[in-house]
Amino acid sequence: MKRILLLLSVASLLICGNLFAAAKIKVVSATEDPASITREIGGDRVEVTAIGKGYQDPHFIEPKPSFLLLLKNADLLEVVGLELEIGWLPPLLDQSRNNDIRPGQKGYLDLSLGVEILDRPSGTINRSMGDVHPLGNPHYWLNPANAVRMAIEITNKLTELRPADGPFFAQRLQNFKVRMNDANKRWVAEMAPFRGAKIVTYHPSWPNFARHFGLEIAGTVEPKPGIPPSPSHTLEIINLIKQQHIKVIVMEPYFDRKTPDFIGERTGAKVVVLYPSVAGKAGLDDYFRLFDYDLSELIKALK
Amino acid sequence: MTARGQLVFLLISFAVVTPLAAQQTIEQRVQQLEKRLDDLSRQVTEVRQQIDQLKSGGQPPAAVQPAEDLTKIETVLPTAATSEQTPTQAPPPNALTDVQTINNVQTPGASKVFNPDISVIGNFLGKAGQVNPYEFGRADMRPTFQLDEAEVAFQAFVDPYAKANFFLSLTPQGIDVEEGYANFVTLPYDLTAKVGKMKAYFGKDNTWHTHVRPWVDQPLVIHNFFGEEGLNDVGVSVSKEFSNPWNIFLEGTGEVFRGDVANVFERRSQNDLFYNAHLKGFRDISENSNIELGTSYARGALAGASNGANQFAGVDVTYRWKPLMQGLYKSFIGRLELIGNDRPDVNRKLRGFYASADRQIAQRWFTGLRIDASDRAVAGDSGARAFTDRGVAATLTFWPSEFSQLRGELRRVHYGDVSRAVNELLFQLQFAIGAHGAHAF
Repeated sequence: MKRILLLLSVASLLICGNLFAAAKIKVVSATEDPASITREIGGDRVEVTAIGKGYQDPHFIEPKPSFLLLLKNADLLEVVGLELEIGWLPPLLDQSRNNDIRPGQKGYLDLSLGVEILDRPSGTINRSMGDVHPLGNPHYWLNPANAVRMAIEITNKLTELRPADGPFFAQRLQNFKVRMNDANKRWVAEMAPFRGAKIVTYHPSWPNFARHFGLEIAGTVEPKPGIPPSPSHTLEIINLIKQQHIKVIVMEPYFDRKTPDFIGERTGAKVVVLYPSVAGKAGLDDYFRLFDYDLSELIKALK
Repeated sequence: MTARGQLVFLLISFAVVTPLAAQQTIEQRVQQLEKRLDDLSRQVTEVRQQIDQLKSGGQPPAAVQPAEDLTKIETVLPTAATSEQTPTQAPPPNALTDVQTINNVQTPGASKVFNPDISVIGNFLGKAGQVNPYEFGRADMRPTFQLDEAEVAFQAFVDPYAKANFFLSLTPQGIDVEEGYANFVTLPYDLTAKVGKMKAYFGKDNTWHTHVRPWVDQPLVIHNFFGEEGLNDVGVSVSKEFSNPWNIFLEGTGEVFRGDVANVFERRSQNDLFYNAHLKGFRDISENSNIELGTSYARGALAGASNGANQFAGVDVTYRWKPLMQGLYKSFIGRLELIGNDRPDVNRKLRGFYASADRQIAQRWFTGLRIDASDRAVAGDSGARAFTDRGVAATLTFWPSEFSQLRGELRRVHYGDVSRAVNELLFQLQFAIGAHGAHAF
C-alpha cells in the first residue's frame, strides 16, 4: 500500500510539474500586430490571440461576448492605445470579470507609451475635424523602429509576468532586433530610389510608414478622418494628383475601392491595396512578411 | 584671282560664316540654359533635402544614409519623466545605432482628469400622416415636430471597484433619471453587479436606450406590455458568467427591484418587490456571424389591482452577420422577441412579438423591416379584455457620421379594440456630442 501511495505521489508530482512547466502566458492583443511581435518574443511560452483581425478596420470591431471568454482567462491584455480601441474595448473590459487586465494593473500593456507618435493635434480639436485621435496617430506600428520599441515593451512585460523566463525573452528580443535590422536595411535600400515621392492615401493610416521610407502624403481620399469621400473632395484630390503628378493611391483592404478607382481612372494614378496589419491576407503571417509584401506592391506601383 | 572673283569669294565666305557664327551663338545659349537648368535642378534638390531634413528634425534623408540600426534600440525610458521635457516626435539621431524608445507620457488636463465622460444625445422627432389617438391617447398624440428627448450621460470610475453611470432624460415633461447605477466590475466568482436605478434585463428591446433602438418607435409588444419607459426601477442586479466546454458565452442575471413600474407593477406592501431573471447564450457561428439566445422572466405585484401578480416570460433571438473585411459597408441583423403576459385581471393570457431584419446597404445607409403583433388589455365594464394590435414598419436610416443619424419610418398599425388602421411617417434625427461610452453588445 505504501508503495502504491508513493507511486501515486510521484506521478502526481510529475503531472503537476508538467502542468506548471507547460503553463503559457495567455496574451490577448487588441490587433494582430502586437500579437505577431508577442509571438516573436514569447515563442512557445505564450499563447497569443488577437481580437481584431488583420483585414478588419481596427476602429470598428464589434465587442462580441465571445471576446469576453478570451479576456476572462487572459494574463495580459495588449492595446495599441491612443484611443484606437475606444469604441469597443471599454465595454468588453467592464464585462470581462478579469480585474488583472484593467488599465493600471499588471496584466495591462498600453504599447503607445513607449513608441514614437506622430500627428498629435495641437490647439482646439473637435468633431468638425472628423474622427480625430486627440492623443496622436495610432497607426504607429507601421514604423519598423516602433516595432522594435513595441518588442522591448512586450519583453519587459512578459519578464515582469514570468521573471524566470526573462533570459529566454531577452534572447528572443535580441534575435528579433537583428532580424528586424537586417530586414529594415533591405527595405530602406529598396525604397531609396523613391524617397520624396508623393502619394495619396485613403485614410491617415500611413504617416509612420511614409515618414520611415521618405514618402510624402499629399492628401487623403477621406475629406476628414473617418468621413466617407464626398464628390467635391474627390474632385480636389483629382486636381491635386494631376497638378503634383502623383503616381499612387494607397488604400486599406477594408475600404471600398469605388472612389479610389474613380480617381485612378481620371488621373492615371495606380490604386494599391496595402495591408496595414499582419494577417491582413493569407501569407502575411508576421511583421516581416507584411512589410515585404507592402513594399513590393508599392515599389511596383511607383516605378 | 580677279577683283570680281575676290568679291564673290568674300560674299560666299560671309554667307557661310555668318550662319555658322549664329549657330555657334545658339549652341552656346543652349549650353548656358542647360547649365542654368542643371544649377536650378541642383538647387531644387538641395532645397528639397533641406526641407526633408527640417521635417525629419535635422537629419539628412535616409537615401544618403544607411538605414537606422534597429538593434541599438535599447530600453523604454522611465515613465516618470516630465511630459514638458519629452519630445512628442523624436528627432532621428545622428547615428541610427543610437535610437532609443520614446517616453510618451499622456497629460490630460491636470485637475479635470477625474471628471466623468459627459455626453448629450438629442432625439428630434417628426411625424406626418393620419391622426393617431390610440398610441399614447388623445391628449398625448405625437406632434409634427418635437425634441422628444435629450439624454445626458455621465460615466466614470468611482474607485477601483465600481463604475458609475448616470443617464438623465430631459423631455418636454421634465427631467428624469433614466438610469443611475454603480456597476461593480471587479467582483470574484465571475460576478458583476449593478446597484441603483436601471432598465431590467428582460429581453433585448427593454435594455436599449432610445439612440440604440433601430426604429423610431417601440415595437407594439414592448409598448403595450411595459409602457413607454419600459421595465425600469430601483434595485440590485447580479450577473454571473458560467464557464462551459462548448465555447458559449453563458450569462445568468438575477435582479430584484423596488416594485414600482408605471401601469405594470405596483408596490402595495413592503414585500411587493419585482423580480427579474435572464439567461443569455452567445456563440459565434463563424467569423462573420453569430447568434444570441435569451430567455427572461419577470414577476411583480399587478399595478392597479388589490391583489394578484403580473408575470412576464420572454424569449429573444438575435442573429448577426457582418463580414469582417467589408464590415464598414455590409451587415445584417435579424431579431425576434416573443413575450407572454399572465395577469389575473384580463380574460386571457396576453402574447406579443416582433420580428425584424435590418440590412446595411452602404457605408452610411441602412434599411429595415419590422413586423409585430401584441395583445393589449383594455379596461371595460365587465373587467379588462384582450385585443390584438398588429403593425408593420419599414425604416431607412442614413448616418452622416458616427455621431449623427437621420431615420425615416413608414408604419401601419391596426388597433384591435377600435378596429382601425393608422398609417404614419415618422422622422428622427439623433445627434451626439461628448464622450459617450459604447454600450454592451
